[in-house]
Amino acid sequence: MRSVLKYLSLAMIILILAAPAVAQDTTFRWGAFGNPVQLDPALVTDGISLNVTNQGCEALASFVGSTTEVEPWLAESWEVSDDGLTWTFKLREGITFHDGTPFNAEAVKWNFDRWRLTDHPEHRDEEGQVYEYYEAQFGGFDDASLITNVEALDETTVVITLSQPMGAFLNNLAMSNFQIASPAAVEAAGAAYGTPEVGFVCTGPFKFVEWTPDVQVVMERNENYWGEIPGNVTRIEYKAIPDSAARFAALQAGEIDGFEQPNVEDIPTIEGSDNMHIVYRPSFNTFYLAFNYRIQEFRDPKVRQAISLAINRQAIVDAFYNEEAVVANTMNPPTIAIGFNPDVKTPYDPEQAKALLAEAGYADGLSEVNVLGVDDNGNITDEVVETIPVRLYYMPVVRPYNPDGEAIANAMAADLAAVGITAELASAGDWSTYLSERSNGNLLGLYQLGWTGDNGDPDNFIGYFFHDVDEPLPREGFYQSPQVAALLQQARALTDPAERDALYKEAEALHAAESGRIYIAHGPVPLAFSNRVSGWVPSPFGKELYKFVTLQ
Amino acid sequence: MTTYLIRRTLESIPVIIGVSILVFMLLRLIPGDPAIAILGERATPENVAAIRERLGLNKPLPEQYMIWVSGLLRGDLGNTVRGNIPIVNELRARFPATVELSLVAMTLAAVIGVPLGIISAVRRNSIIDTSTMFGALLGVSIPIFVLGLLLIYLFGVQLKWLPFIGRLDSGIKLETRTGLFVVDSILTGNWDALKNALIHLILPAMTLFTVPLAIIARITRSSMLEVLNQDYIRTARAKGLGERPVVVTHALRNALLPIITIIGLQLGTLLSGAVLTETIYAWPGIGKWLYDSIIARDYPIVQSVTLVIALIYVIINFVVDILYALVDPRIRVA
Repeated sequence: MRSVLKYLSLAMIILILAAPAVAQDTTFRWGAFGNPVQLDPALVTDGISLNVTNQGCEALASFVGSTTEVEPWLAESWEVSDDGLTWTFKLREGITFHDGTPFNAEAVKWNFDRWRLTDHPEHRDEEGQVYEYYEAQFGGFDDASLITNVEALDETTVVITLSQPMGAFLNNLAMSNFQIASPAAVEAAGAAYGTPEVGFVCTGPFKFVEWTPDVQVVMERNENYWGEIPGNVTRIEYKAIPDSAARFAALQAGEIDGFEQPNVEDIPTIEGSDNMHIVYRPSFNTFYLAFNYRIQEFRDPKVRQAISLAINRQAIVDAFYNEEAVVANTMNPPTIAIGFNPDVKTPYDPEQAKALLAEAGYADGLSEVNVLGVDDNGNITDEVVETIPVRLYYMPVVRPYNPDGEAIANAMAADLAAVGITAELASAGDWSTYLSERSNGNLLGLYQLGWTGDNGDPDNFIGYFFHDVDEPLPREGFYQSPQVAALLQQARALTDPAERDALYKEAEALHAAESGRIYIAHGPVPLAFSNRVSGWVPSPFGKELYKFVTLQ
Repeated sequence: MTTYLIRRTLESIPVIIGVSILVFMLLRLIPGDPAIAILGERATPENVAAIRERLGLNKPLPEQYMIWVSGLLRGDLGNTVRGNIPIVNELRARFPATVELSLVAMTLAAVIGVPLGIISAVRRNSIIDTSTMFGALLGVSIPIFVLGLLLIYLFGVQLKWLPFIGRLDSGIKLETRTGLFVVDSILTGNWDALKNALIHLILPAMTLFTVPLAIIARITRSSMLEVLNQDYIRTARAKGLGERPVVVTHALRNALLPIITIIGLQLGTLLSGAVLTETIYAWPGIGKWLYDSIIARDYPIVQSVTLVIALIYVIINFVVDILYALVDPRIRVA
């Protein structure tokens, strides 16, 4: 054995001495936790794919720096009619796609038509192409689409007609999923557009070079880019390194220049190091604990409020989150442009919690609860169908808003025990199963979940969850609040930011007064970098552009 | 011999069909589906239903199964649910990576494990024997991710001797023919790529070969011990044969059957993808891919790749059977 080891290490040393030196100075190497799904942003929902296309593709609008505010991008300006139904976009001139074809009003119309019309030759839904975000943001396809017409008036003017006013319209257009692709390239590639063979063909500062599945996506600087490239990156290698310890090792060994979400316990090492540093992405997410309203006891506002008062949010944030995280009092996070209500407070007060539980009739504590039935119309009945322990479901995955579901659930259970509520931790299987059970309203108890906003608009935050809770919704634990729903529906159809802001704040206040749900934390995402990287502009949506990066 | 081979081939067909039905049904029995996985936190009953409809998941199960199988018979493995990419392309990109790593790890394990087992058996209860068997115990007991991370930190981060990400530095250009980088670089005379591919193989192979090495050494030892106690070995020694011919010609040949079996089984296991090793070393093989696909409920990938793996198992068993026949004439007659 010893001689074998000797030969092995000898062979190793010979090979190492012979290994060539690599790495160019202006190649930016990013360690992602996985492989992109597809590089056509219209078809994907995952952050990794969009991270890649964001480097090379652009939309009509964009977000300003590290904020959730919208600014003109491929469109240089826009106007909206008084009724909020007709939007006229003036496009920038002199832009070409990476394949040399011109970016113009026809190209914009072609992209919108491809997304929204199922009979468009490149829509290809019959072949399994799913335009999930178009459907989610614009109500559906064909007649169901809120965008009813897109017209190219002249070379640089596009008119988009809506069937009803939409407060989040510009925020939607700034989303990565609505980046404009070269029509000629999509037509030439057909169903292969966005696959490893073709990649993307857009207008942005980096061009697609190659994609080796599960290895890396390579992009290079677009020398004909219409705009400014502040940094010096000439080549991007977007690598898939699934193991978090290996990503950290790769950064230490200099194999990559940065990666997302180091383990919380590695952050002090990075911050104490001479050649690495941490940058925080502003948090645009919310972690919550939801009630399932089929639990008879949870229908009593006193019980819900007692549970809210019992949970020590600050202790949870201190113990499990990074130093930039903050306690959440509302669904909308403080980083949102409109609709954050700073007046809503959810204090920690176990004594008050005990008093409320006693008032509600549970002076001796609560360890078992009654599950109510659901009738054919989806309404909750008075009939008790079973009696079960108080369950606290925890998420089986790590999310920016939830660094450790089970450990946090343990802390929550301890807080609840301190006021006399005996909750048992419950797992609902893997992530797909958990989501499926949640969506069908089957997590009978308290359950963890959270949300990361897509477009900076409150309609995609509190509005996304509760605009239709005039009926009890299984996916929201049968929560029902017609007043909250009415406010959110009103706000989504307005275009004046000030009016909308007031309505969202009112909805948050109302929702908090009901203790409708328990908000725990907003967790910023840490990003780890080699010290050769500077100029990084963190984005609340993770939409960071490598064109700002300067490498030493 | 020919009838034996034909019979074995025919026997594999029901196995493949059985696997296809099993994996198809199992996937649909576990909760969650591709629509949920695509939507994540956005999963609401309405948009789940809409996506299920578009993905054809609302069709009756027998119809879905027939659509899949008729595609397979035409050589079409289908497209991924997420991204709608032809699975055959994805498989072609990943499978050679798994094959290359498995073959290297397995060759090392066999080349080192068999002699170690023989020496341990011949020198039973010696220091070599006890330390080999202790090493083997350690080899099967140490968790792969612990070993992998230790190796990464020692050779990759501290000593900076060896790369630990992927199969090739991205500065190295290699024209791929077989997808096995070692083979491709030799075929194209690309010595830089050969060196680079080899040093990338060292750490993953060292991580992956520990378990098979330990198992092979142990099986070889016990199989040899059994044979060495046989009468014909005593006879061989009694008629004055040297220790070397006794061990190599008489004992080893008769001890080979279980060793071949275990090497075949271990190779089959490695070829179905080593999830942990591939994950730790960002090795772009099928193990991690399959794992992710199960998590994402990407039915077509899981179904088709599982079937391909089943096929490989069948082929390896087939080869093992042929080797049996070559090693042991009695099997040929039977």
